[in-house]
Amino acid sequence: MRKMEIPLSENLGHGHLACAGCGAAVSMRLTLKALGEKTVMVFPASCWSIVPGFWPYSSFRIPVIHAGFVTGGATASGVRAALDVRGDHESVVTVWAGDGGTFDIGLQALSGAAERNEDFIYICNDNEGYMNTGTQRSSATPLFAWTTTTPVMQPKENPKKDIMAIMADHHIPYAATATIAYPEDLLRKIDKAKRIRGTRFIHLLSPCPPGWRIPSELTIKISRLAVRSRVFPLYEIENGNTYTLQEESHVVPVKEYLKMQGRFSHLSDSEVEVIQKNVERSWERLLKKAEA
Amino acid sequence: MSKQFQFKGASDMPMIPISLGDMDWNKTGAWRAQRPFYEDKTPPCNAACPAGNDIVAFIQKIMQEDFEGAWQVIKEENPFPGVCGRVCFHPCESKCNRGNYDAPIAIHALERFVSDFVANLNQKIGKSSGPKKGKVAIIGSGPAGMSCAYHLAKLEYEVTVFESTSSTGGILRMGIPSYRLPKKVLDREISNIEALGVVIRTGVSLGQHLTYDDLKDYRAIFIATGAHRSRSLHIPGEKSKRVLSGLDLLKKINLERKLKLGDKVAIIGGGNTAIDVARSVIRLGKKVTLLYRRSREEMPAFKDEIEEALEEGVKIRYLVNPIRIGQKDGLKRLECLRMELGEKDESGRRKPVPISHSNFFVEADHVIIAAGEEVDVSFLPKGMENKEGIVLTQRDGSTGIKGVFAGGDLTSMQRTVAHAIGSGKKAALAMDCYLQGKNMEETIRRILIGEGPSLSILRYLHPEARPMNSHVVTFEELNMDYFEPSERIRESKAPLKKRVREFGEVTSTLTETMAHEEAERCFSCGTCNECENCYVFCPDASILKTENVFSHQVDYDFCKGCGICFSECPRGAISLKEEER
Repeated sequence: MRKMEIPLSENLGHGHLACAGCGAAVSMRLTLKALGEKTVMVFPASCWSIVPGFWPYSSFRIPVIHAGFVTGGATASGVRAALDVRGDHESVVTVWAGDGGTFDIGLQALSGAAERNEDFIYICNDNEGYMNTGTQRSSATPLFAWTTTTPVMQPKENPKKDIMAIMADHHIPYAATATIAYPEDLLRKIDKAKRIRGTRFIHLLSPCPPGWRIPSELTIKISRLAVRSRVFPLYEIENGNTYTLQEESHVVPVKEYLKMQGRFSHLSDSEVEVIQKNVERSWERLLKKAEA
Repeated sequence: MSKQFQFKGASDMPMIPISLGDMDWNKTGAWRAQRPFYEDKTPPCNAACPAGNDIVAFIQKIMQEDFEGAWQVIKEENPFPGVCGRVCFHPCESKCNRGNYDAPIAIHALERFVSDFVANLNQKIGKSSGPKKGKVAIIGSGPAGMSCAYHLAKLEYEVTVFESTSSTGGILRMGIPSYRLPKKVLDREISNIEALGVVIRTGVSLGQHLTYDDLKDYRAIFIATGAHRSRSLHIPGEKSKRVLSGLDLLKKINLERKLKLGDKVAIIGGGNTAIDVARSVIRLGKKVTLLYRRSREEMPAFKDEIEEALEEGVKIRYLVNPIRIGQKDGLKRLECLRMELGEKDESGRRKPVPISHSNFFVEADHVIIAAGEEVDVSFLPKGMENKEGIVLTQRDGSTGIKGVFAGGDLTSMQRTVAHAIGSGKKAALAMDCYLQGKNMEETIRRILIGEGPSLSILRYLHPEARPMNSHVVTFEELNMDYFEPSERIRESKAPLKKRVREFGEVTSTLTETMAHEEAERCFSCGTCNECENCYVFCPDASILKTENVFSHQVDYDFCKGCGICFSECPRGAISLKEEER
């Protein structure tokens, strides 16, 4: 097996408040390794309003701006403009929003900025629910999943919103999915995004041990199974129409992914079958787009 | 502890809520319920090696393309990599965890590669220069005796080996045909041992030229004279003309190359000697039929050897038992009974039962009996007990006589080269303990590989070297997410037509590229090889690594004990234990 080569720099310092085994903390650490020091981050409300530490401390070794829930796209547009005015065209402005701040509450500001093709990277750190406030459903929560607002007696009835399709239809220069079990792929995509101008969107899946009801040591394993089961395929979209797939050679049934997570433990075989069918349909659609 | 701030009032605070310090004061390690730590564990191949080789360590060296380093690792434990890489039955490979995934690593081929690669560099093991700890004698220059001599010389004893025949190597030279083990490989490895200062006196036979009294100047003696007497079948006619023992025939071929045999040769037996005889006789251009009383499944010979014998044209008749060797028209006439398999016997194999009135005849010019070897106990000193054909020893190889140790085929029914090498090493350790007044039982416990019985002499010499939990890593403990199926390397073989005409080696040594590729297949079970998965995936940046130096240390000030490093370690080299609070 080949050794992974990743940069040594650590811009997420020690003492941060992420839960043990937090997938998003791995996502952040890896993302910062790719972005480097010249980065300004914008945090709309999310776990990451809490994780860095409490005032007057921050575990981040780069500038971070906390912003209102709705305002990821707007704040980043402003920060970019301000840096440009000051002559700093080098620093990369990066929004780090949760799925709540992207799929639901921040969608308007993101859509507006993307339509203007504002020059920043928007990273949606997707843990499929409002995990920071105690696991409420978001429009990123998968079909049939348990959350505190979609209890076992009445699990989520709607499938996850297709945020990548939405972003593709904004015809932004670059959009990609990535997840922590594939660090080299993740780093490559962030690095690629860094070299492009305009609105770039990264959909980053970060398993959440408390919210997904998984043991903390399985974060990476589950991230990998999300890709192997095709629940979360890895791909890139350039200019809204050129699709490139990073195909996994090991394909497993969705059951392998679902059975490890407490939030799906109530599923019947027929519900698993429905999810399997949905995943297959989405995969076919994606393949068609990639072939076009 | 990083700076903490205290504000006396609002006027102390900055105008906007901006951070002033880092979070390094927040020791998140306090959250931890379980503690990860680096701990190498025993690879199954290491645990299965009767000679006690550190297999994973040498394969990792090959992977780094440090072939000389690989040789340094092997020679700590075993002076015969060229021999073992060719003739060992490689129990390491049957235990290799990769066998549960696709196919085991070709460990024997890698060991052979290392030996041959280094031989081409003309590497010698350096003579030890330290003061000698005393004179010791070894009887027998086979694999057990020479392994013992090697380790004793490294332990700085003045070693003399007495060999009854005119050449060194014992069974390795006399019993193993050169198409499996070329003589120059054996010569090379024996001369490496001699280079350490070991003196070998050939043509000196215990009992005949040498008495125990003559050896009283030696502080300790190791007897490893092997098992050279062919077992008798106890059937009429076996002492008649043109009936030979398997081992005698091999000795003749190996030492003299001159032998007159008729065209048709029948061989009785199903062990390695029988197969060696059959394949040697085929090379002399004869027709060979092997008669074995059980079926192929029960044959004690190594599977690959049987396969190659069949390829070369040896005919094997199973479930056949000769009961009489007669004579007819100048030919030997073997009267045989057909057999069927009954219940399992004490060896775990199904017992052959004769079918009555199934008598038939096999005719041949010569009959070779290869039904196993026995120990000759006639020359052994009084006080050395033997039972059921082997000399009895303690766990450390000591006999009833003080200062006299025994090993190899003489003391065990596990008659393989690797077992002999291991027993020679164990005797060297025991002799050193005996002469230096150390407790051998205690020493054995400390240097066992896994649950034993093999021992690590590296750990005897350097107690801190290569610390390893005795737990043997199972396949289930590995993380297969990091491996892709890959084909096991195949050693190329000489063309069949060429093989059956001469005694040249059948298989060839791997090239550097092949060896490297094969080494890369190794899971490195239980042995950290710095793949850095733990470092890459730690959410708390708590695996310490500085510029290119991987520390194998966890920063317990901040590690939250999530266990990701433990579960993402592909090879089980990280352990978790509950935090004591």
